[in-house]
Amino acid sequence: MKKQFYELTYIINPVLDDEKFKETVDYVNDLITSNGGEIDEVDEWGLRSFAYEIDGKSNGYYVNMYFDAPADLIEKAERSMRINDDILRYLTLKYDAKMKRHLELRRKGEPPTIFDEEIEEEDSDDDN
Amino acid sequence: MIKNPSHPKKGHLKTKECKFTKAGFEYIDYKNVDTLNRFINDQGKILPRRVTGTSARHQRQLSTAVKRARFMALIPYVSENLR
Repeated sequence: MKKQFYELTYIINPVLDDEKFKETVDYVNDLITSNGGEIDEVDEWGLRSFAYEIDGKSNGYYVNMYFDAPADLIEKAERSMRINDDILRYLTLKYDAKMKRHLELRRKGEPPTIFDEEIEEEDSDDDN
Repeated sequence: MIKNPSHPKKGHLKTKECKFTKAGFEYIDYKNVDTLNRFINDQGKILPRRVTGTSARHQRQLSTAVKRARFMALIPYVSENLR
């Protein structure tokens, strides 16, 4: 089956300890590799506070990862993540050509940015 | 823009340009919270195109990105001080 490139971000319950975080990350990685996916990159953001409370918690352990996988893996992986109580939220995105180009630019360390001079412009716009 | 020389707004109107087009964005990432924060107001609402001058294509991408970021609790649905 044809493989697609995906991005997955998920939030692990912050009540757990470091060992359990690692276990959950391994669990998700295993979920992907055992179903015929190939992991490209795993980036753990670590504990980060939420903008609003989720299930009475004010922070969570974010993990962001990229992988190649056949399409039917996503359904399986999402089902297991939904059942897993340690994972509060997950978001899977399929990457198209534009998103891949953006990712490559970001990896090279030169993502397009909105420059500082333009912030001032924006402020003056608000006054009008 | 305004051809009438006696129009009161003539000379005051600025032509807005899309900041994303200018910077060469092809995809607006929901993880780029700093950028998204400039396009929402203090209540957490997405600013309209008529205020920011964003092009239609980028406004659509921006709104998707903001909604994804909200879902992942990176930016609020409603600002803390208003709840």
